[in-house]
Amino acid sequence: MRRVAPRSLRISQVGLRGVVGSAMTAAHILDFASAFGMFLEADGPIVIGRDPRASGVMIRHGVIAALLACGRDVIDLGIVSTPVVQHAIRGLEAAGGISIGASHNTADWNALKFLGPRGIYLSTAEASELLDIYHLKKFRFVEWNRVGTLRLWDEAVDAYLDELAAVYDFSSLRRFKVVVDCCNGTSSLVLRRLNDRFGFRFILINEKMEGVWFAHEPSTTQSIVELQLAPLVKPLGADAGFLFDADSDRVAVATENGCAVSEELVLPMLADHLLLHGPGKLVITNLSTTGLVDEVARWHGGKVVRVPVGRQAAMDALTSYPPEEIAIAGEGTGAVMMPQFRFVYDGIAAMLAILTMLDERGKKLSEILASYPRFSILKGQVPLASQQIPALLMKLQRLYSDGIPNVQDGLRIDWPDRWFHIRVSQTEPIVRLICEQRGDPPQALFDSLLEQLRSFA
Amino acid sequence: MPHGGHFLKIGVSGIRGVVGEFLTPALACAFAQAFGTYVGEGRVVVGRDTRRSGPMLQHAVTCGLLAAGCEVVDVGVSPTPTIQIYVSATRARGGLAITASHNPAEYNALKLFNHRGLFFNHYERSELVDLYHQSDFRQALNEEIRLVKTDYEAPSRIHLERVLAHVDVSRIKSRHFRVALDGVNGAGSRLSCQFLSETLGCELHAISVEPDLPFSRIPEPRPDTLGELADLVRRNHCHVGFGQDPDGDRLAVVDETGRVIDNDDVLALAVDVVLQRSPGDVVVNLTTSHAIEDIAMRHNRRVYRTPVGEANVVEVMEAVGAVIGGEGSNGGIIFPAVHPCRDSYTGMALVLDYMAETGLPLSALVARLPRYYRKYGEVVYEHGRLGPLMRVLEAAFPQAVSDRSDGLKLMWPRQWVHVRASNTEPLLRLAAEAPSREEVEELFGRIVQLTNLR
Repeated sequence: MRRVAPRSLRISQVGLRGVVGSAMTAAHILDFASAFGMFLEADGPIVIGRDPRASGVMIRHGVIAALLACGRDVIDLGIVSTPVVQHAIRGLEAAGGISIGASHNTADWNALKFLGPRGIYLSTAEASELLDIYHLKKFRFVEWNRVGTLRLWDEAVDAYLDELAAVYDFSSLRRFKVVVDCCNGTSSLVLRRLNDRFGFRFILINEKMEGVWFAHEPSTTQSIVELQLAPLVKPLGADAGFLFDADSDRVAVATENGCAVSEELVLPMLADHLLLHGPGKLVITNLSTTGLVDEVARWHGGKVVRVPVGRQAAMDALTSYPPEEIAIAGEGTGAVMMPQFRFVYDGIAAMLAILTMLDERGKKLSEILASYPRFSILKGQVPLASQQIPALLMKLQRLYSDGIPNVQDGLRIDWPDRWFHIRVSQTEPIVRLICEQRGDPPQALFDSLLEQLRSFA
Repeated sequence: MPHGGHFLKIGVSGIRGVVGEFLTPALACAFAQAFGTYVGEGRVVVGRDTRRSGPMLQHAVTCGLLAAGCEVVDVGVSPTPTIQIYVSATRARGGLAITASHNPAEYNALKLFNHRGLFFNHYERSELVDLYHQSDFRQALNEEIRLVKTDYEAPSRIHLERVLAHVDVSRIKSRHFRVALDGVNGAGSRLSCQFLSETLGCELHAISVEPDLPFSRIPEPRPDTLGELADLVRRNHCHVGFGQDPDGDRLAVVDETGRVIDNDDVLALAVDVVLQRSPGDVVVNLTTSHAIEDIAMRHNRRVYRTPVGEANVVEVMEAVGAVIGGEGSNGGIIFPAVHPCRDSYTGMALVLDYMAETGLPLSALVARLPRYYRKYGEVVYEHGRLGPLMRVLEAAFPQAVSDRSDGLKLMWPRQWVHVRASNTEPLLRLAAEAPSREEVEELFGRIVQLTNLR
C-alpha cells in the first residue's frame, strides 16, 4: 500500500488541491476538469493558466484533454497569475476558467481553482453542484467531430495591465522604489512588464520562476517577509517591500525601515484607504481577522461583515451585497479584493493601492502604520480528534458566557477590546486558536484557552 | 447496444474505440500512465495522425506519461512508421501513436511501441494490460515530473534517409515518373508530396494531401475506395498511383491502366524484389496469398506463416531473421532493413525502384507474378460458433492440411481457405484462394454453405 500523508488531498467546494503523485493523480485531474466542462452552462471558450510548479505541465495537459473532449475550446495563457486568468475570462467573454496552481502551498502541492463567467469564483451552491458531477463520474463527452480546439494567447498580461492602468495612476506611482520578493512565482512576469512597459522601478528578488525548488515557502506571512525581503529594503533605500505568493493573489509588506509588517495589517490599511474614497462602506472579512478592521471602519462610518474563514464564504457574501456598497473584502492572510475588481483576490492590485495611499497621503509606510492603534494577536494550534470538537466548543461557550458568542465557524467570543476564535483547520487534523486584544497581548486568556484545548486532546 | 466491444476495446492490441462516449480522455490518460509505468522513466515519443480527436487524446496521453515520470517527445502529426523509426533511432524508452489506422474517422486508438520501435510482443502486451487493470501506476512527485520536448523535423528526415539507403535514387530520378497520390488527408500527406516530388524527382499529381481537412474517403485504401486515384492516374497518364491510409503504414498501388492492384500482388512484388537482392526468409500471415511461397521457392527461400496482425508477423520475422514480410490483404509491406514495421514509404520506394530497374510498366511486372484468385467474406460472429464450425469444416475436407493457429486454415497443394474471428470487430472473416476464378468461387461457395449450417 502506498502511504499517503493524512489530508494531503482535498476535494471540496474550493476545488481540487493536493500533493501531486502521492495523493493527487492524473485521474483526479481528468475527472474534475471533465466535471467542470460539463458543469459550465454558458457557451464560449474556457481560459486556463498555471503557476510555475513542475507538475503544472502534467496537469495542464490533463485539463486541456478533458475540456476539449467536453467540446470546449480552450484558451491557454501559459504561466500567469490567477488574477490574470480572472481578468482574461472577463475580457475574452469566456464561459469560465481554471487556474492551475497551489498559491501559498509548498512546491509539492498543486490545485485547480475553478472560475465561472466574468472570472468569478464559484458560489457555494455552484461549487457543490460541480462536486456532485465529479462524484457521479458520468461525464458527457461530445462526438468526435465536435471535440474542441486549443488556442494559445500570450497577451493576457498586457490586457491585465491595461485594466490596472485604468484604475491606478501609474505616472505618479512609478516614482516609488520598491523591492519585491516574487517567491519564484508568477508575480515576476507582471512586475517585469510594469518596469519595461510603464517605467516602474521594481527591484525583484527570487524572480526566477521555479518548478521544484522555491527559495522559501511562498507564503505571505510576517515570518517569511523577515527572511530575505525585509533586510533589503533599507539598504536599497526603497520606499517599501512587497512579497507575493506563487500565483500572486496574496501580498505581504515590509516598511521602508526594513520592518516586516504583520499580514493582519494589509486589510485594515487598505480599508482605511478605500473607505475614505467610497462610495462603498462595507468591509467583508472573516472571523479570524484583526479587530483593527472594525476600528478603522468606525473612523469612516463603515461597517464590517464577518463571515466564516475561507474564500467560499467571502464570495457568497460578496454576491449578496450591491457592488457599490462594498469598500473592500479580504482576510488576514494578505488576500484582498479591490472594489474595482470585485471577485479577484489580487496581490498586485493591493500593492498598487498601498502605493497610491503613500502617494496621496505623502507619508512613509511606517508613518501610516504608526497611526493605527496597537492590537496584539496570538495564534496557536492543538491536535484534536474531530469527534471531540462539538463538546469542546459547547464547554467553552458555557465557560465564557460573559462574552458575545458567534458560532458561524467554530466558536468566536467577543468582549469589548478582546476576542478569541477557535476553528477547525480545513487542511490538518488540528484546531486553531486566535486571540486578540487592543494594546498588550492577551497572554492569560490565550494560555488558559490552550490549556482547555490540550485537556481535550 | 448489441456489441459493446465494437465501440471500445481494451486488450492486447492496445486501446481503441469510438471517441466521445466510449474512448474518453480519462481512459487514454490511464492507459498512457500504465504504459509509462511499464517502460519506465525516460523518453517516450508521442505522435498522431490527422483525426479531429487527435490533439485531445495527445493531451490526455501526455498527461498520463508525465504523471508516470516519463519525458515526452512530441513529434506532432507523423506517420506511424516514422514514429517507430524515430523511437529506435533516438533510443527512447518507447513510443505511442495516436491513430486508428484505416478505421473510420469517429474511431481512435493508441498503438504502443517498445524501446526498439516495435509493437509489443504478446507477453509484453498482456503484462501491460494487467498493469492497466491493476491501476497501480507510478505516480511522479512534483520534482520528478519531466518536460515535453518537440521535434517536428528529425523524425521524417531519419525515416526517409533509412528508406533511401535501400533503393537507387538517381536511377528513379532519371526516369521522371509521373505519379498519382491519394494521401486521404492523413498523417503522411505532406511527407509523401516531399518524398515523391522532391526526393525522388517524380511529376506528382496529388489529391487529399491537406492534413487539416477531414478524411476525403473511406480511410482504408481498397479498390472500391480508390476510384478517384484511379481516375487521376488515367487522366494524367501516370506510371503509377499510390493510396495511403491515415497513418501511412498501409499502401495501395494503382497500375498505369488505372487498375488498383491487389494488395497481395503488391506484397508479392516487394518480396520478389527483395529476394532478388538480399537472400533470406519470408514471413507473412495465414491469409496472405500462396504466391509468396511460389516466389520464395524460385529463390530457394522459406516462408513462415503467422496469425493475422502486424505484431504477430514482426514477432516471427525477428525470431527467424527474415528479410521481408507483410500482410497481403492488409496492404502492409514490412522490410526490416528499414525497420520491422509496415511502411508505405518503403513500399513506394521499392515499387518505383523495381519499375526503374526493369523499365517495364507496372501492369507487366504484376503479370509476371504467380496468378491466384482470392475471395473474401464475413459473417456476424456469435459466441461459440467458431469451434463447431471448425470441426464441421475439418470433417468436410478430411484430405486438407489443417492449421489452427488463428481460427482454421485448410490447405491443399494449390488452394486454401481461412476462417477466423476478427480482432477488432464481432465478425468471422472468411478467405479462400485458388488458381482460377471458377475454383475459388466453388471453394468459397462450399465454405459459405457450411458456415451457414448450425
